[in-house]
Amino acid sequence: MIYLDNNATTRVAPEVLAAMQPYLGQLFGNPSSAHALGREMKRAVEQSREQVASLIGAADVNEIVFTSCGSESDNWAIRGVLATRPDKKHIVTTLVEHEAVRNLCQLLENEGYEVTWLGVDHNGELDLDELRAAIRPDTALVSTMLANNETGVLFPIEEIGRIVRERSEALFHVDGVQAVGKIPIDLKNTAVDLFALSGHKLHAPQGIGALYLRNGVSLPSWIIGGGQEQGRRAGTSAVPNIVGLGAACRLALENNDHARIEQLRNRLEDDILKTIPNARLNGAADRSKRLPNTSNISFAYVDGQSILMHLDQAGICVSTGSACHSTTHESSPTLKAMNVPYPVAQGSIRFSVGRYNTEEEIETLLSVLPGIIEKLAAISPYDKELSAIG
Amino acid sequence: MGNTIIADHFLNPRNVGDAGEPSFSGRAASLVCGAQVRFSIQVDEAHSISQARFRAAGCDVLVAAASLLSEQVEGKNTAEAAAIGQDVVALSEQMGSVEMRCIELAGNALLDAIREYSDAAREDWAGDEALICTCFFVSERTIEREIQTRGLTTVAEVTRVCNAGGGCGSCHQLIQEILETNDLPR
Repeated sequence: MIYLDNNATTRVAPEVLAAMQPYLGQLFGNPSSAHALGREMKRAVEQSREQVASLIGAADVNEIVFTSCGSESDNWAIRGVLATRPDKKHIVTTLVEHEAVRNLCQLLENEGYEVTWLGVDHNGELDLDELRAAIRPDTALVSTMLANNETGVLFPIEEIGRIVRERSEALFHVDGVQAVGKIPIDLKNTAVDLFALSGHKLHAPQGIGALYLRNGVSLPSWIIGGGQEQGRRAGTSAVPNIVGLGAACRLALENNDHARIEQLRNRLEDDILKTIPNARLNGAADRSKRLPNTSNISFAYVDGQSILMHLDQAGICVSTGSACHSTTHESSPTLKAMNVPYPVAQGSIRFSVGRYNTEEEIETLLSVLPGIIEKLAAISPYDKELSAIG
Repeated sequence: MGNTIIADHFLNPRNVGDAGEPSFSGRAASLVCGAQVRFSIQVDEAHSISQARFRAAGCDVLVAAASLLSEQVEGKNTAEAAAIGQDVVALSEQMGSVEMRCIELAGNALLDAIREYSDAAREDWAGDEALICTCFFVSERTIEREIQTRGLTTVAEVTRVCNAGGGCGSCHQLIQEILETNDLPR
């Protein structure tokens, strides 16, 4: 199995599993308990908090609150900020956010909030003048992602933060889920007020996330119950998962495989764009403006889901922005916002490389992909368009 | 793709390409997912489909449905082929899939191709009486007679009585017009 879908989720690192294992066995206890087992749990949780804080450059460990996932962190951040500012009814976000933010903001529109949806250009990049114009005195919150999950395009959160601070009293929330563990992040030197992350994107298990809350930013308790997480989010701490997230953050800092991952991605991207005639890159051609592990490539006039299934047949896992089956009805809103034409967007495939991919795996992909695209081009109803490409 | 029929027809689609000339073609596209499918058919003097070919850019279910349809309609006359193309439920049961929209899309492209043939056949018809329904070979005079003697008022009634309009459906508008001209005060 060749796994090139690391933006969807990642394999739990062996080191992470090893760190977690004792906490699924003899080391049990409730971190809120005063006895020795409880104190040991508490120590483990606080160590993880430090590890998370240092990966994202938080100024203070207490700025980190553990949650169950990235979507929870995003939901809490957005709803929490709005609850503290009942007089401000305006939100600024983008058309290309992850569903956790996009669908929530759509819901908020129905609840009486006004949302300004910032667009992107054909490279997937924001127009900061549009942002400047969008911020108003009644803007409660600006919410943008750091890295787009589909294209890997990065938004300049330092600059966005500066603009938010200069122009308003709005808080700035960043969905950092797709970026954490892939690029360096140093929140203390930004104007980011809230920042969501998720463990399973960086080789921790599923079911653990965190929300960074800048000191001074206080949200209403998200879950009412015991006083866990300094009263900010009740619920018994998921100690094994929290330990896993901490270990994964430590690994992301210590590991120096980022350059190798980027090389694999570059090899994959260069070869596909060079050898497959109907292949087009979705997202900024300038690689410094994208995550180092992601390539979103469209194979014009053939269907992405068909490509995915042929690759699946060959034991290769990727994902597509276009899917028509019951579970997902729409084609990619990100590619739509980038104005990618329909028959091009429909053939989009996201390749996302990770720590455990090898050169041989990339070469295997590159050896089978052209045949699959050729086969699908041969059955495409866009035969005239394809023959024009050559 | 655990389903073997879908997997088989998706991975090895039958009858891909374009039917030999003269051929008639039809398209269907989904605005939801962007899938597109095209059928082309060749029809012999007996109104039977001698060749059915398709091209598709879409999911496994769409490709498999089009492939299955292409196999099933070859050798059938246009009335039989249209009935197969319209029976989404039967096809979905054969395929073991509930993705009705994808299956219907393939059927719609086939029907569109049959209608193109029917419209052309009607134009080319050199008989004494104008031909309306090319699938069931029903003339304008027959339809008029049925309307007048039985007092028919709807296309569905005409179809029930003489089959006209029961195939690809390309003549529904024409039957409607005949109904309106014959709608005399009684």
